[in-house]
Amino acid sequence: MKRLLNFLGVFGVALLAVILILLFQSFMAGGGNLFLVNRFTTFTTIFLGIFIEAAPFLMLGTLASGVVEIFFNQDAIRRLLPRNAFMGALAGGIMGFFFPVCECGVVPLTRRLFTKGLPPAVGVAFLLASPVINPIVIASTYAAFGFSPVFWLRIGLSLFIAVTVGLIFAVQMRPERLLRPVALAPIQGGSVDFVEPTPTQPLLSRLQQALRIGADEFFEMGRYLILGSMLAALMQTFIPQTTLLALGQGPVLSIIAMMALAVILSICSTVDAFIALAFVGTFSTGSILSFLVFGPMVDIKSALMYLQVFNRKTVIYLISLPMLMSFLMALILNYYVGL
Amino acid sequence: MFLNTRNYRLLQALILLGLGAYFTWKIVSGTLFFYINERFLWLIIAGAIGFFVLAQAIWPRSAVEVDEHHHHDHDHEHTHGSSNRVWLLLIVSMPVLFGFLVPVQPLDTSAIETKGFSTNATLASLNDSGSVALSQPADERNVLDWIRAFNYSEDPSEFIGEPADVVGFVYHDDRVDDDQFMVGRFALSCCVADAFAIGVAIDSPDAGEWKDNQWVHVRGTIELATFDGEIVPQIVAESIKEVPVPPQPYLFP
Repeated sequence: MKRLLNFLGVFGVALLAVILILLFQSFMAGGGNLFLVNRFTTFTTIFLGIFIEAAPFLMLGTLASGVVEIFFNQDAIRRLLPRNAFMGALAGGIMGFFFPVCECGVVPLTRRLFTKGLPPAVGVAFLLASPVINPIVIASTYAAFGFSPVFWLRIGLSLFIAVTVGLIFAVQMRPERLLRPVALAPIQGGSVDFVEPTPTQPLLSRLQQALRIGADEFFEMGRYLILGSMLAALMQTFIPQTTLLALGQGPVLSIIAMMALAVILSICSTVDAFIALAFVGTFSTGSILSFLVFGPMVDIKSALMYLQVFNRKTVIYLISLPMLMSFLMALILNYYVGL
Repeated sequence: MFLNTRNYRLLQALILLGLGAYFTWKIVSGTLFFYINERFLWLIIAGAIGFFVLAQAIWPRSAVEVDEHHHHDHDHEHTHGSSNRVWLLLIVSMPVLFGFLVPVQPLDTSAIETKGFSTNATLASLNDSGSVALSQPADERNVLDWIRAFNYSEDPSEFIGEPADVVGFVYHDDRVDDDQFMVGRFALSCCVADAFAIGVAIDSPDAGEWKDNQWVHVRGTIELATFDGEIVPQIVAESIKEVPVPPQPYLFP
């Protein structure tokens, strides 16, 4: 019975979606309500535009994550890390170059590294910095902004905030204290989710395994991207930019608006530069940067993931510190630098 | 169970195939550039190949392999709930559904209401090509080139009387006179999310007869006009011809 309900549920919803779209097509062919028809096609074009542009970047990220998962020996990486807290945090901040994952992939990876004894300062800096300080995101930021001040400031400020917050966490020496007890169970149980690299397996089958993890992660993270681009397209279709413009004028309000937008849209850091580009000209440069710096560290989807992995106190620090710091820096940019 | 791991994998693979097919169709038909800037073609080709590679990787081959993978599945234990999986599949199939079922259409004047319409593109990304626009023969300049040339030139009056030959959609801006309309194009640097409409005013006695969104080919001569406090180009029309939507409706700065 339950099987049947499940079956009906899936195909019911899928069928409904198809019928709705077909109805809309005939509606449009008949002339229909011109306002709605126009808005619907505009929405579709913008939604698909963002998705088409972003999907390959997301795929790159998830594939890299799959490869890291299968081919990298995390113990060896830990041995290479410096002992000094500052150097450790700095190393954590630039570790993203070797683990190129966006903010979706970084949470589980950091958790795994913590259970392997990675110092908190390194892990937290890695968690916050790697969604920006990695080759894929740097490439997509370059694609959107070129070598402009926004490009350099995004990298510099992200690294600065991540290392600073990492150092604050350096007072806590035992990484497992940051985690929720529940989050440890599946890892220490071993069998559920850690794929120990097994050199005995042929290379091809390990590659296939990495691809499968990548595909899984593409679905896992792709839904946040798709919901995010639908939201963004909806906003672009229905909210005139003059309304946004009114918000974007103030040097303070624009920052709050863009940071709120970054959280709500929850767009993957591999593509958020393209979204930010849409706001250049209407919003202050400081607010664009706060979107690009704060968004990858904290948004709806990463906050949800933080809550699943870290204890409440850690989550509060992980969210409030980057929020305050990026707000202040954006403010300084707007008032004193005037880009 | 209906959504056991094997069926889940099968549906995942089908959706990935669908996405790959959609990307391929966009590339082959050329309508890809209704959505993104042409400089990202290579990215989309790589994406299409990626979708097919991923689809083959998770295509369930034998019950044994699926089962083995299930045990090795990494930290997505929360996706194992059946209803969660259903949502995952539904959401990720949205681009395929929208992509194949909704009629393909580039942005038109209905997007101007929210995106705005500009007669002088002062955007930072437009700066460096001004000199290129200046060195072009006058009748080869498109709408964007003309605006750039005006932005770049020290004395725009040098353009007065030059022949103009532009293509774009008709847009009746509230700010222009009754015997004028705008010929516009959308310019985009990445994807339609950052598209903005730009245009040049056309002087024509029968301006009122042209409907919004109709694509036209305008020939005429350049005049100066002041618009929102800026000196912008304006074309005194000699001939206006109806044309189909060009294969490349957007301009890429």
